[in-house]
Amino acid sequence: MKRLLNLRGALSLATACVAGYALYASWSWPFRTALFPRVIALPILFLALIEWALSVWGSEKEGEGHAVDFQFTDTVEPALARKRTIAIIIWTLGFLVLILLVGFPLAVPIFVFAYLKIAGGEPWTLTIALTAISWLSMEGLFNRLLHLPFPEGLVFALWS
Amino acid sequence: MKMLMILFISLVLFFANAPSYGASLYEGKTITIIVGYKPGGGYDRYARLIGKHLPKYIPGKPGVIIQNMPGASSVIAANHVFSIAKPDGLTIGTFNNATVIAQLIKVEGVRFDLTKFAWLGSAASDAVILSVRSDLPYRTADDLRKAKQFVIGTTGPGSSTHDFPAILGEFGGFDFKLVPGYSSSADVMLALERKEVDGRAGSYDSIKPFIDRGLVRPVIRNRTSAPGIEKLPVDENLATTQQGKLIMAVNAVPTQIYRPYVAPPATAKDALKILRDAFANVLKDKDLLAEAEKGKMTIDYVPPDDALKVVAEVLGQPPDVVKVLAKHIKFGE
Amino acid sequence: MLNAFIDGLFVVFQWNTFLMMLLGIFLGFWVGLLPGLGGTTTLALMLPFIYQMTPVEAFAFLLGMHSVVSTTGDITSILFGIPGEGTTAATILDGHAMAKKGEAGRALGAALMSSLVGALIGAFALALAIPVVRPLVLSFGAPELFMLAIVGIAFISSLSGQGGRALLRGILAGLLGLLFALVGQDPQAGVLRFTFGQLYLWSGLDLIPVLVGVFAIPEIIDLAVRGTSIAGELPRENLGRGVWVGVKDTFVHFGLTVRCSLAGTFIGIMPGLGGGVAQWIAYGQAVQSARTNEERAGFGKGDIRGVLGPGAANNSKEGGSLIPTIAFGVPGSSSMAILLGAFFLLGIMPGPDMLDKHLVLTFSMVWTMVVANIITVVISLFFLNYLAKLTLIRGTVLIPFILFFSFIGAYTSNNHLGDLLVLVAFGFLGYLMIRCGWPRAPLVLGFVLGRIAENNFYISTIRYGPSWTLRPLVLVLIALSVIVLFFPFMRFKGRPLAGGNVQ
Repeated sequence: MKRLLNLRGALSLATACVAGYALYASWSWPFRTALFPRVIALPILFLALIEWALSVWGSEKEGEGHAVDFQFTDTVEPALARKRTIAIIIWTLGFLVLILLVGFPLAVPIFVFAYLKIAGGEPWTLTIALTAISWLSMEGLFNRLLHLPFPEGLVFALWS
Repeated sequence: MKMLMILFISLVLFFANAPSYGASLYEGKTITIIVGYKPGGGYDRYARLIGKHLPKYIPGKPGVIIQNMPGASSVIAANHVFSIAKPDGLTIGTFNNATVIAQLIKVEGVRFDLTKFAWLGSAASDAVILSVRSDLPYRTADDLRKAKQFVIGTTGPGSSTHDFPAILGEFGGFDFKLVPGYSSSADVMLALERKEVDGRAGSYDSIKPFIDRGLVRPVIRNRTSAPGIEKLPVDENLATTQQGKLIMAVNAVPTQIYRPYVAPPATAKDALKILRDAFANVLKDKDLLAEAEKGKMTIDYVPPDDALKVVAEVLGQPPDVVKVLAKHIKFGE
Repeated sequence: MLNAFIDGLFVVFQWNTFLMMLLGIFLGFWVGLLPGLGGTTTLALMLPFIYQMTPVEAFAFLLGMHSVVSTTGDITSILFGIPGEGTTAATILDGHAMAKKGEAGRALGAALMSSLVGALIGAFALALAIPVVRPLVLSFGAPELFMLAIVGIAFISSLSGQGGRALLRGILAGLLGLLFALVGQDPQAGVLRFTFGQLYLWSGLDLIPVLVGVFAIPEIIDLAVRGTSIAGELPRENLGRGVWVGVKDTFVHFGLTVRCSLAGTFIGIMPGLGGGVAQWIAYGQAVQSARTNEERAGFGKGDIRGVLGPGAANNSKEGGSLIPTIAFGVPGSSSMAILLGAFFLLGIMPGPDMLDKHLVLTFSMVWTMVVANIITVVISLFFLNYLAKLTLIRGTVLIPFILFFSFIGAYTSNNHLGDLLVLVAFGFLGYLMIRCGWPRAPLVLGFVLGRIAENNFYISTIRYGPSWTLRPLVLVLIALSVIVLFFPFMRFKGRPLAGGNVQ
């Protein structure tokens, strides 16, 4: 419970900080440049602090608020849900890091292979087939056909 | 003896038919033209047009691909071509001609030096004009001086739609009211039709269709001329102070190299020669010129040495002048 | 004019034009479906091929491709939660939610049919409006555009959800979106705002990485957590056969579909509003059509109307955005900008002539959009069943591909690694927002409208001084924005809730 309240409080506090920074940054700007940022950031600061106060001292269960939006599935027990959430976040960040290290064209098949095998535990044939498909679309479509510029990847840049 | 003769003759024949050095350099390779803007824009269209016909003039007929690297008004692309692209003759870059201003006023993030690029030249020069809505009674510069609060729509400081009239207004004795914020120059044209603004400045090429349509008429131009507007007064001649004249001159000079094409610094000399010749020749190519005509793209070759001279002229301004320039000439979208 | 109307139709059905259109449709189908193949990039690549065609063929090709992209983009949004195009993000909210309940077929059918209805209404409204369209557009100056942005922002109250707390968060999200929109070089003084020294941020945050981040990433996380296929473990009666249920839904809620189509057309006609706005305003209208509080709470969780509204609007907007492009030479969206390039290439000067001398060409363009949409929808309906079955695939197999396409989709905005960082950052933000009950739609709405509001505000003020606030159209729009803002509260005052409690 407390943990949850901390998350909501944290988000609103973070928003308040963003607004505060915006106000600070606009200090030295000419009037017209600064008007809209200030007009927008000031209410954010004010409202975010209210939201923070409500999150910390008010009472609200997770899943309330009825936002016009979906809510995360609650059919899975929380402990497992947390584990899986952290796992997928790490995989996503890992993909990003992989792209930075070896460049997009290589990162895609490597990632697909790794995820299917390690996180998915999929059989070898399926894994290899899907990796091949991903490599084909990456290399064939985006690289060869569309000639998108893909930076080399730090590993190769440092090597050469 | 006979064997030796045969061997000798075959060797001679072999070397006589050997491919020329140029062809072996580019055979089977691909040249990349890096464009500092998104697909569809002016720079992109020029690059694609040139890229289509360039292989004809390079021995070995390499393939040519276009890569778009938009961002920061092509500073990102310029930085890339300067330090990251390999100088092996397989990369060419084209970006905003105003990057020379960016370098001059030391815009943050500029990590290139235009004098160090291996220049291929410029594919076009462009005049910048100030145009006036045709239903208004102003026909000459003197008429315009009499106007009070003449409204000019712009896209923001750093573009020719803004800086040209801003400098003209301040140093030419005109009463201009600049209204920045339009998302594109086309939006300014719409505002013109709505009579929300009275005039628009900018590249002659982009305004020409509207002149032909009768929406606006050109009144003042910068020093770069173009067919049809030679007789217009030049802004520098309308300047009321020497300083104003200088600022206008420095602002105008980059438009002479409106579509610059460069290769990375220290590109291999032989590759560079091939590229330079190919660039000069492709811009004379009949098919290219026909397509350019159809697409209303002016082609106007500027050799690499002249381009470098232009760059040097702008960058050679003394520091106190640069300080003044930076107040009036900006770099932006 | 009637002659031109009919002649335009015949032009479309000539062999060469028709073939070009089919080719365009085929390409557009894949472009809309696959994130990463942005409609704009591909259109630009096609430009050189246009050189060889006659004007009518060229436009049949380009428009055939272009009209189809919004329709198939909805498919990716519904099935996988990835906004394939900037214009199909709103469909994710309810469309993908339905897919997760095993109702993918129904959502797809509804999206497709409403797209068709939207395209048809858009095209016909356009054809009817051609005589008045020039005066219409000319009467909307910067002050009116500013007010239109305000009306759009007023929809935040409808997109937030029930109760004061939800409204608070909705406003926070909306304001935050507005703030994010201001990143980049300011057009008033050329000052760089919030760029932290990064060249990448000079032109501001790009829409696609933000959208893909905010929408696709949280869905991926949810999918990973559930550990099942997208359709989950629920009964599947609306999966395959549901397609026709969805198609029928379009007509059950025909009033909404039509309203959203008209709104979309109007927004498309207004130059400068951009393509991302129409879908959210349509979504807002869909939410407003809810009759009880409970119905409203169902939005974002799988209400068919949340699919119908945006589905119709993002297609009708395409027809609308043709107008500023051909009548004024001002592109209504970035893909229209490329179309404009094609105009110049073919030596045609957009302007009043298009509505006069070249009227047949104009009508042939309108008809192309109509016919292209009809063909696409008819063909798609046949294998929507199979497409819907994709939601039955194990999540673990789909996730790497969804991530792959999300990343590449974001990357092709600027071909810059910064796109990926934005993607991940906003993905994280989207995730947090859902965890904390902050609605995401207002964030996107604010983000899309921020610059439009600011720029037009300054143009109005500098040009007209304070008197712009008294222009008749402006006053009307002020009233409209007040109505839109307070609509959710007005609706339910004094009405009994289900259960008999009076509000």
